[in-house]
Amino acid sequence: MTALIVIAVLILAVVLMYNSLIAKKNQVDNIFAGVDAVLKKRYNLIPNLVSSVQQYMQHEKSILEKVTELRAEAMKPGISDEQKIALDREITSALGNIMVAVENYPELKANENIMHLQRTLTEIEAQIAAARRAYNQAVTDYNNAIEMIPTNILANMMHYTRKQVFEIPEAERKNVNVKELFKQS
Amino acid sequence: MKSVSELTDFYYTELYDSLAELEARRKQVLKRILVLFGIIAAVLMFVLRYAGGGQSTGNLAMWVGIGAVTIGGFGYHYLIRGYRSGFKEKIIRPLIGAIDKELAYAPEAVVPQTLFEFSGLFDRRIDRYSGNDYVQGSIDGVPIRFSDVKAQHRSRDSKGKEQWSTVFQGLFIVADFNKHFKGRTLVLPDLAEKLFGSFIGGMLQSKNFSKDQLVRMDDPAFEKAFVVYGTDQIEARYILTHTMMQRLLKLKAETNSKVYTSFYGEKIMIAIEYNRDLFEPAVFRSLLSIDQAMAYIGTLRSSIGIVEELKLNEKLWSKA
Repeated sequence: MTALIVIAVLILAVVLMYNSLIAKKNQVDNIFAGVDAVLKKRYNLIPNLVSSVQQYMQHEKSILEKVTELRAEAMKPGISDEQKIALDREITSALGNIMVAVENYPELKANENIMHLQRTLTEIEAQIAAARRAYNQAVTDYNNAIEMIPTNILANMMHYTRKQVFEIPEAERKNVNVKELFKQS
Repeated sequence: MKSVSELTDFYYTELYDSLAELEARRKQVLKRILVLFGIIAAVLMFVLRYAGGGQSTGNLAMWVGIGAVTIGGFGYHYLIRGYRSGFKEKIIRPLIGAIDKELAYAPEAVVPQTLFEFSGLFDRRIDRYSGNDYVQGSIDGVPIRFSDVKAQHRSRDSKGKEQWSTVFQGLFIVADFNKHFKGRTLVLPDLAEKLFGSFIGGMLQSKNFSKDQLVRMDDPAFEKAFVVYGTDQIEARYILTHTMMQRLLKLKAETNSKVYTSFYGEKIMIAIEYNRDLFEPAVFRSLLSIDQAMAYIGTLRSSIGIVEELKLNEKLWSKA
């Protein structure tokens, strides 16, 4: 009788652990779908941005070409989540460079279309930042589960491996320092 | 918007005449109240002394006690009535006007109960809802309204006796939020983590079936003070940026109270638990005391200042 109870409890524990691992993995996938959706929003903005600025930006042609290339690569079907995360990092920095470069062209800064694009981009960046943080939290929960006792044993059998988190740029973590902003301008 | 020190100046200079007049009235009212309480106490002693004896004394004492408290309570409210409304008209109304001319004030109105329930901040059914000191207007183009609120819940004990418990008493503030969102995000004081520590508390939080998903935030100080539930993990973080979390922490520190925040229906709704009726005139203390003045000014300034404090006026360009 005792043996039966022990076995029942063990089975129950395994089922619970298994379900919680599945739930964590699905949570990561779910949130990645959200990340993907906002990233796509940004990809869709890139051609418009490039075509609006390229006639002015003769010196920055290489950045513009690079960002177009990166976009094409990110839009390819069947690339892995890890690749998407890596591409996102590059696109973020390339777009940042373009936005800094815009500051050097007074006629671009005053252009209504560019202003609109800039504001749209800022808004999308805020959404991407939120999505990245949500994804990182889900991945951390997942990674913790597959490395901690006792769920790690089961995770090993299920061939679950660690997932990569987004690196959050230092600038996003800091609170905005108004003084610094004034200094720059 | 005027600062707290400017408002303190205003209180002691512009409002001085009204204050002096009300202060004289307060002393009068206080005298009457003391007389009333004296009479009640004398009657109470007389009744208990001469009508006593026998088994029914305990019962009688209870009824006499209840009667005394009821009469005392009604008498008190009756006596301060004129003084109270004079105070609201002559002190609170000008103070609100001094903070911002655009604000309207209704001493006896309250934020609608539907809005309070809409926030989803409190789970228990609300059977009695009251409040006063309603303020409405817009600050920097952001519509805002708030009032004192008292929400109560009725339950029955094992003997079927009716019992009232307070769900919330304090300030309830509603303002338009500066970002678009579809779902609901609740930021509640973290009781579980405080009581049981982060490990067990964290487990309890995530097993909370009545609420939406638990959203764990990436700011340790914030996570320690609050617990976040939301319908959408990404949206909750879109609303609660690192700066927003800092501002909510600051609000909690400044008010030194429990702060409940709900983001729902394009609005931010904040309930600050003071556990007392705010903006009521002092009866047993002088209106001229600095503590008393700071209590009125500080609370008003910080509730109206929410727009500035949380930067709700920094509108998204798309939400014009």
